[in-house]
Amino acid sequence: MRAGRQSFFAEHPIYLRSSYTIVGPKEGDGNFGDRFDTVLPDDLWGERSYEKAESKMHREAVRGAVCLAGCDADGIDVCLAGDLLNEISASGLAMRYFKSPFLGLYNACATFAEAVIVGSALIDCGMARTAACSSSSHFASAERQYRYPLELGNQRTPTSQWTVTGAGCSVLSSVRPTTEDDEECRTHFKEKMKAMRDECMRAASAEDSECGKGGGIENPFAKRGGDALERMKHKLLRTLRPASLIEPDCDLAYRRTHIVKITGGTLGKVTDFGIDDESNMGGAMAPAAADTLIAHLEDTGRTPGYYDAIVTGDLGRFGTEAFCYLLSKEGITLDNHFDCGAGFFKPEQKTFQGGSGAGCVNVVFNGHIAKRMERGELGRVLVIATGALLNKDTPLQKENIPGIAHAFTAESEPYV
Amino acid sequence: MTDKAEYRAFVKRNSPKSPMWRSLFAAFVVGGLICMAGEGVHDAISALFPALPDEDVGSWTTVVMIFVGAFLTAIGVYDKIGRVAGGGSIIPITGFANSVVSPALEYNREGVFFGICAKMFVIAGPIIVFGIVAGILVGVLGLIG
Repeated sequence: MRAGRQSFFAEHPIYLRSSYTIVGPKEGDGNFGDRFDTVLPDDLWGERSYEKAESKMHREAVRGAVCLAGCDADGIDVCLAGDLLNEISASGLAMRYFKSPFLGLYNACATFAEAVIVGSALIDCGMARTAACSSSSHFASAERQYRYPLELGNQRTPTSQWTVTGAGCSVLSSVRPTTEDDEECRTHFKEKMKAMRDECMRAASAEDSECGKGGGIENPFAKRGGDALERMKHKLLRTLRPASLIEPDCDLAYRRTHIVKITGGTLGKVTDFGIDDESNMGGAMAPAAADTLIAHLEDTGRTPGYYDAIVTGDLGRFGTEAFCYLLSKEGITLDNHFDCGAGFFKPEQKTFQGGSGAGCVNVVFNGHIAKRMERGELGRVLVIATGALLNKDTPLQKENIPGIAHAFTAESEPYV
Repeated sequence: MTDKAEYRAFVKRNSPKSPMWRSLFAAFVVGGLICMAGEGVHDAISALFPALPDEDVGSWTTVVMIFVGAFLTAIGVYDKIGRVAGGGSIIPITGFANSVVSPALEYNREGVFFGICAKMFVIAGPIIVFGIVAGILVGVLGLIG
């Protein structure tokens, strides 16, 4: 149901059926290190390139969330995914694995909120029963995409942020989960993951055998040419560095007491305040976040105090300052605000402004905030994911960096 | 919403700045150390090959320093030096080697032709172009004068 100019309320209950997160080693050392389902000891994860590793993380995050939701490989009605690579290739390649319709989304680091909003809308209107909303980013592939080669000896500016290596997925559903389902999915997680991989691999190898090819072990879509080398490499990795090929895991003992519902959201406008420094994303995104928050409060008639927490995506430390400055000009002060990017890394990790990237708000929401809501520590939460809309060429062509921010609201209610 | 010019002024005023004196000091020290190493290599070569004319010693020193820069890049040390030193490790010839080798490493995965060969000069390209243009200009001037 439309509310005001940019907002909507869900008319039917939309449940967060499950969430799953995978992050890289540096993120595992950060402030939320113990909240993620899988922390990789190696950010290549046995792949040949960082782009492939990001795609694998994305794929495994979706698989993990689907298994935790108790669905089959074809039990998801629509997959909504996006990432930061050119033509959202990490998501596109990851989605080969699933037999579900796929909508690719891009709103830079706000992609996750966009996916949740679109997913909620599709479920609310009855077009889908379950939707998998995922996004991913990888430090090394984003550096190459937007900045310089990794080994180049240049200095990072103090306004720069560190792209989070992480992928996460939330499965939204119109069906209310039960505690028995939860327990069943958690205890049989490993078998289910394996069954799903085998099912997909059988299909892949059957297709391959028709043209004289067969399926690989780790990557069902790997080409046969040069596969002997690839298999040898995997064998070597498995004996020398077994940790680099770990399987996705989940906390078997985790049980939720509350269940999270997506209750509405506010779609953001593109805001351009004339910031043209591509290493100061926080400054470029803060006006968009403020704009969306103000629009949300106007449309819904709520005050910031209505929420237990207002979570912004990845403004970073300076961006948070700018966000509060803009809000104070409008007479709004927030005492329940928390920025995922600014809080992501520890100061000694030398990331200057903190984390960013399409995976940042995703893994913090799925790994930290949703878990706190599921324990009943937070009741109502407003998540505002922010993104800076640029590519490598636009700043060179003297364009400004516009920002975008999308918000969704989540509420928790106890299992009865 | 707030006036855009006012916001830009706020961002300009309040965004964190690079610590200038510390950066300058680090660049001076590390750049100086690299140059000292270069002098050391120069002296070592002229001590080992006393018959070599001084110009050739200079060329061989350059070759050795480029190799060292490329090698440190390949084993992943040079970017760590650069993170501290900034301009101090970019300006010497080792920095030039770094700016050629680092894209070559990065684009290795796209293959030899369209990866390494095509992308090798994405950062060093301007330096080479300006070097050649300046060389031609000076050469022409030298011809006239």
